[in-house]
Amino acid sequence: MTEKRSMDRRMFLRGAAGFTLALPFLPSLLPRASAAPPTKPKRFVQFCTQHGGVWGANMFPGDAVLTEKRAYAGHEIRRGDLVRTLKSGKALLVDGAGGAVDTAVLSASPEALTAAIVKKMNVLRGLDITFYIGHHTGGHLGNYARNDGNGDDGKKMQSQPRQTIDQVLAWSKSFYDDLTSIKKRVMLVGNRISYNFADPAARTGAIEEVTGTRNSLTLFDEIFVPPDAGGPKRAPIVDRVLADYKRMREGDRRLSTDDKKRLDEHMQRLSELQRRLTVTASCGGVSRPGKGSSAVTAASGYDLDPARQAEFYGLMNDVIVAAFICGTSRIAAINAGETFSTFKGDWHQDVAHKCATAAQQPTLARAHQWFFEKVWLDLVNKLDAVDLGDGTKLLDSTLCSWTQESGNYTHDAQSVPIVTAGGAGGAVKTGSYCDYRNLAKVVTPGDNPTEKKWIGLTYEQWLTTVLSSMGATTAETEAAGYGNKGVTFATTQWMPFKDGEIYPKTVFDRMGEGLPFLMT
Amino acid sequence: MDKKRRWTAGQRQSLVSVLGLCLAVGCSGKIGGKDDGEATGTPGVTPATFECDASAEPTELPLRRLSRVQYVNSVAEVVRRTVPAQATTVLAGLEPLFARLPEDRRVAKDDDKRGGFRRLDQVVQQGHADVQYDVAVALGKALTGDAKTLGAAVGACATDADTGNDAACLDEFIRRFGLVVQRRPLADDDVKFYRDIAGTTPVQPAALADVIATLLASPRFVYHVEHGVGTATTAPLSGHELASRLAYHFWQSMPDAELLAAATSGKLDTEAGYAEQVARLFADPKTDAALDVFALEWLWLDDLPAMDGRVGDPVFDAFAAGFTPTPALRDALVADTLAAFRHVVRSGGGFADFFLESRSFAKDADVAKIYGVAPMTTDPLKVDPARVGLLTRPALLATGSANTRPIMKGVFIRKALLCDEIPPPPAEAAKVKPELSDHQTTREVVEALTQQKGTACNGCHSTLINPLGFSTENFDALGRPRATQRLFDATGKLVADKPVLTTSIPQVTADDQRPSSGAADVTRYLLESGRVQACFARQYFRFTFGRLEDDKKDGCALKAAAEATKGGKSVAEVLRQMALAPAFRRRTFR
Repeated sequence: MTEKRSMDRRMFLRGAAGFTLALPFLPSLLPRASAAPPTKPKRFVQFCTQHGGVWGANMFPGDAVLTEKRAYAGHEIRRGDLVRTLKSGKALLVDGAGGAVDTAVLSASPEALTAAIVKKMNVLRGLDITFYIGHHTGGHLGNYARNDGNGDDGKKMQSQPRQTIDQVLAWSKSFYDDLTSIKKRVMLVGNRISYNFADPAARTGAIEEVTGTRNSLTLFDEIFVPPDAGGPKRAPIVDRVLADYKRMREGDRRLSTDDKKRLDEHMQRLSELQRRLTVTASCGGVSRPGKGSSAVTAASGYDLDPARQAEFYGLMNDVIVAAFICGTSRIAAINAGETFSTFKGDWHQDVAHKCATAAQQPTLARAHQWFFEKVWLDLVNKLDAVDLGDGTKLLDSTLCSWTQESGNYTHDAQSVPIVTAGGAGGAVKTGSYCDYRNLAKVVTPGDNPTEKKWIGLTYEQWLTTVLSSMGATTAETEAAGYGNKGVTFATTQWMPFKDGEIYPKTVFDRMGEGLPFLMT
Repeated sequence: MDKKRRWTAGQRQSLVSVLGLCLAVGCSGKIGGKDDGEATGTPGVTPATFECDASAEPTELPLRRLSRVQYVNSVAEVVRRTVPAQATTVLAGLEPLFARLPEDRRVAKDDDKRGGFRRLDQVVQQGHADVQYDVAVALGKALTGDAKTLGAAVGACATDADTGNDAACLDEFIRRFGLVVQRRPLADDDVKFYRDIAGTTPVQPAALADVIATLLASPRFVYHVEHGVGTATTAPLSGHELASRLAYHFWQSMPDAELLAAATSGKLDTEAGYAEQVARLFADPKTDAALDVFALEWLWLDDLPAMDGRVGDPVFDAFAAGFTPTPALRDALVADTLAAFRHVVRSGGGFADFFLESRSFAKDADVAKIYGVAPMTTDPLKVDPARVGLLTRPALLATGSANTRPIMKGVFIRKALLCDEIPPPPAEAAKVKPELSDHQTTREVVEALTQQKGTACNGCHSTLINPLGFSTENFDALGRPRATQRLFDATGKLVADKPVLTTSIPQVTADDQRPSSGAADVTRYLLESGRVQACFARQYFRFTFGRLEDDKKDGCALKAAAEATKGGKSVAEVLRQMALAPAFRRRTFR
């Protein structure tokens, strides 16, 4: 695949100038645009937020828009166009419970949630983690083993770790077919969402967490090639360091097999470092930001200040977009653990766990709306502001998704809401509200009789869709334990179904396919 | 007033940490009992005694890496020893690089998100390799960047006009610097390897920088590399390996010159010489930092939330009643408990002394106010007699909210102090829907939510968890003594003031059905059981060896530590004894 290595400065600035969010576009990073954005490569971003528990009426468009229906995997699934309406000065895709605008999660200022952006979005409903997982952070990207051990199912899954999809893509030769400009395979913000083999190149060793950063300047420093300062160059010594490791590995008779494995794993990281030292991306025009995210988080009160939380992610988003433009990374995964609320009580217990109550649902929904508008949509708009010069925007080659920990009841992962933007370079059709629920299978637990819960298709199929849309081959997908080799563990627990009946074989048989209505 | 309404606004604060904690901690009721949710939990599942099989060969961790703090301390020590006059400047230049080094995660048994020690995190991230490399390169440049620093680091021979001495100068530097960095004398082939990096003479500063960088990025700097002496599967460590183990254990850094000298002279290979060094290192104030880390992580003090997060909330403000927590209060609470531990260790006290130590070590005025005494100046101060020791220290009681967390207090005692396991919570535990009122105390709410007959929660909560946590309900969520719990509505208006109840049957052991009147009884039962002492031995073993224990293979070290702790030996002696144990001084090579 060839990347376009030149960029018209005017075109780039035209994209930036057209950006009308309150936050200036990439204010600190791009004082002078000289980057050479690639055109064909795809990018993947996933935001992961905690708890969930947003009622369907606050999270999803109304059923009336679901005009297209078809049989799939043994039940009827539905689709309709996303419809943008204006109400009380806001643009909405959702009415909100009882018509309340402030609790409509998918709403924002009309300037942020434009008709053009809506056409590039998808909202997915009815994708389930097929067992009881309770609290988790790993499930967002596919490693269900990273859960809090709630319930027998969660405990059981802890013994079955696997690579997360960001890491599958990061080491996929299909996704990263050319690494010459890649400084960091995955930009990770926050922790406990991304997992890979101890030796990802050899795909050996234990599945371990890949940690991220909470410092935008650190992330910046990791992904940008400093301008050539001129003067004499000294060859990197990484080959000498590698030689030192090899010397010890081969020459030390007391090292055990496991010791040598540790050294092998370290040498793999040195090899990756060595590769990155040769990166020659043309990002010389990008300036190091003057303000980093730690300046936002350091002062007291950050945890209860949604505006500062949005500012934090705005800075991170700037770095992510700039890295995409420069081609120094093409994957980002973000664990956004903030509450995005000023609520001063115990969020976990008093709000998230009370999602089923009319008293706390609005607080929960408003927090999610804030995240949607100020964090997720901020990145989406920044991506869409970058004109690649070939008639497409950076967003068009990206799949930018947002997933929540639970469905409409915290702890329960049925109908995990998934919101996406971007067409993944044409692999994903956009502008749809897709409802994959099987409306004949109601499994409402009883907390709130008016807030129902249904069984649908599998979250596994979403993960397959990501991998497939990003160009991972079937072999890569299945080797990592996804697609047709994905998780088929399902239990019913408290549900009014017997084990083995809740998710029929027809549902699991489709795990290796891209989601209907979405894949082109 | 309708006292039966569900989930009222006023009740909200009273529910802090209640319903979800059933989910968060475990209450399947399946431990040794029926599955019907009846109270059948069986405490005491973790053995409190150990058997020593001297022939058992422990399963060692493969090639342990330096922890984050060990690595940073080591680099700083290298700089200070190499260029003492320029150390401050050089280290300041490395700070941005250190900031990029991945944090070590606390690792607990079964990947429990609570508890655990950072030393157990052995994952090597890409960030480790990156930062280690960048630090090495930066330090190489810094130590050779100007003639003055170069001369200080390498010697006058590196800056004089005589190029004829360059080869000898380089060799001498590699041996001297290598001994510090790699904590062992370099063999001739090692010297040759690093010498060759510099290329031919005359040696340029940039070439020297490469040598320095390669040494600092070497596996022998960033890993604990051990070979032992001889070829036996289980072999004693060499003097230099022992020196490193001791230094990194007690000081979280590399051996000092005296320790290296003891290793080089063979003194460390003798019982007396080794014991002398253990005593010296332990007595050194540098060990206090490691003691603090151990206590911090053992007692879950890392998890203490900010105390000022809810200032301004009507319920919290009403609860605090004129006391306004500052952002500094959290750390000051932690400091009080750490100081108590350090005091007991340094004053020769035993485990029971720490467990029963109730005096205030608070230098902070706000913590002192919580204790009801003046800030400590020289000696710890006696406090309210309701405080009976560790369980009643404010840092173990404060929650950062208006409500206590009896469930979490119980879980802490069960897991951190007794090393018991609590089974995972059942799915859908949140489906318990009792009728609650805003006139219920925290205990009453907890009982209503987690101890209903026939529920899955009841099995563990009524036996394993809640009774221990209820014992300190005579302290509020800031750690202040109380006889009653004041209950507020959402506006902060007082709606009730009810007596608190601390009685329970804590079941420290499965067969112990003695009733308890409160913290004093529970503290006594815990000490009498010997189980907290055994757990302390387990926790310190984990901290020392950076891994979880195997009761059979590690039985000797555990038995010795547990029996010494139970036997009333000083904590200092117990901690020193772990370093004197055979397990600490040898390694099994497979």
